[in-house]
Amino acid sequence: MRLPIQINENSAEPLYHQIESQLRALIVSGQLLENTLLPSNRELAQSLNCSLITIRRVYQDLEAEGLLRTRQGSGTFVAKVDTDAGSKKLLQTAEAAVEAAIEAGMAAGLTRHELEEVIRHELDRRYGKQQ
Amino acid sequence: MNKAMEQEKGRIEQSAEGNATEANPAKGNHATEANQSETSLTEKEPSSAVTLRSVMQKRSRFKLGPLTLNVPIGHVTAIVGPNGSGKSSTFRLLMDQSRPDEGELWLLGEQVGIGLDDSLLKQRIGYVPEEDNKRDAGLRGTFKADFTAEWYPSWNGNEFERLLREFEVDPSLRLGKMSKGMRRKYELALVMAHGPDLLLLDEPSSGLDPISWRKLVDELHRYMRRGNRTILMATHIMDEVKRLADYIVVMSGGRIIGMYEKDELLSSWHTFYVGPATVGLPAHGAGSATQLAPEAVQALPGLVNAEEAGGGTCRVTTCKAWEAELWCRQQGFAITGQRALELDEIMALLIRDSL
Repeated sequence: MRLPIQINENSAEPLYHQIESQLRALIVSGQLLENTLLPSNRELAQSLNCSLITIRRVYQDLEAEGLLRTRQGSGTFVAKVDTDAGSKKLLQTAEAAVEAAIEAGMAAGLTRHELEEVIRHELDRRYGKQQ
Repeated sequence: MNKAMEQEKGRIEQSAEGNATEANPAKGNHATEANQSETSLTEKEPSSAVTLRSVMQKRSRFKLGPLTLNVPIGHVTAIVGPNGSGKSSTFRLLMDQSRPDEGELWLLGEQVGIGLDDSLLKQRIGYVPEEDNKRDAGLRGTFKADFTAEWYPSWNGNEFERLLREFEVDPSLRLGKMSKGMRRKYELALVMAHGPDLLLLDEPSSGLDPISWRKLVDELHRYMRRGNRTILMATHIMDEVKRLADYIVVMSGGRIIGMYEKDELLSSWHTFYVGPATVGLPAHGAGSATQLAPEAVQALPGLVNAEEAGGGTCRVTTCKAWEAELWCRQQGFAITGQRALELDEIMALLIRDSL
């Protein structure tokens, strides 16, 4: 399989970074489906004219992000993205936003109780009053 | 040597006892299974296919070394350097065709030149020297192949024939009657046909036409797909390095200048045209007030060269392209042009700055 990855040789952006971001986009956008077998390190290195070390680094990074998984002896596959890695990312985003909201409340001089009231009010408005 | 070069050479470790240049890829950012420790040489499975330790050879007109080098298993390592830099001498030392005055050489975990019988070791190695053997000139290709097959238990006749077909070599010819390129392809097929763990290739593609060259590159890639095989090759063809190598060893004047991870080396050296900041300045004042002098970019990361390029811009060469680009953005300097340096240009600069 030939991956649609384009390398810009005249960009100062490190090669592993260029390949990594394009491969990540292919996976996250769903262009590469779950369980797709990716080319071996050596094959991808050959087709992109780069070294084995670069490809290994890309696969390792994306595996650490949960986008790829490697089965010993059978190769590197696209992992299940939307449920696991995707929802985790969404949760992280939400947590960061709540954190920022609380910080804003503290900066405005609200007490813990007042802040809880504000949040409860907003939650009640969205989810309906709790019994 | 300027500061930037000093940092670039940070990857190269100076060994404790001598000034031997130790080129070890595992010392870089990408230390993985290429990791090499002092003890691994005595282990059953070494991580280096080829190891040189403070190897020196003194001749009346040429001094080789001290050379210290670790060639990682499972990778393609290319030795580049001008004529007479010691590449072929190094191969002869590895094949025990000449002896070092000092130092040790190891191939596939075994020390070179100490045992009485190295035939078992040689069976695991395929060597194509720079010059084809003149004494074989009268032999037919088929005869030499039959003879070679006797020596290698792992000889694969089908693979040999496949390679000859692929390379379009007629083995019924006498070797001396073959063209230089065909002879070269014949010798390459011969060493690849017994599936050695290590290929030592001294300018493998000399004399090859572009189509044959492409086939050779493909065959060497194919060879590497099988398990933990290793290629150490000397070459002058920069495109060959680009397509095949994982690591690059630069040699010059009998010394190893350094060992580099190919992609890192090739993407780190750029030439920029840096202009003065164009935003936030009054339009009419943009003339003389915003000239960018070479002095203004002295703090550019990895700076190798800076010169005025006219029109208020500077032409700078850096060995840390990514950091340099970020630095320019931070400083508000506009980058008007950018080009990655070719491997031969990088090689020349590395050699220049090592003197």
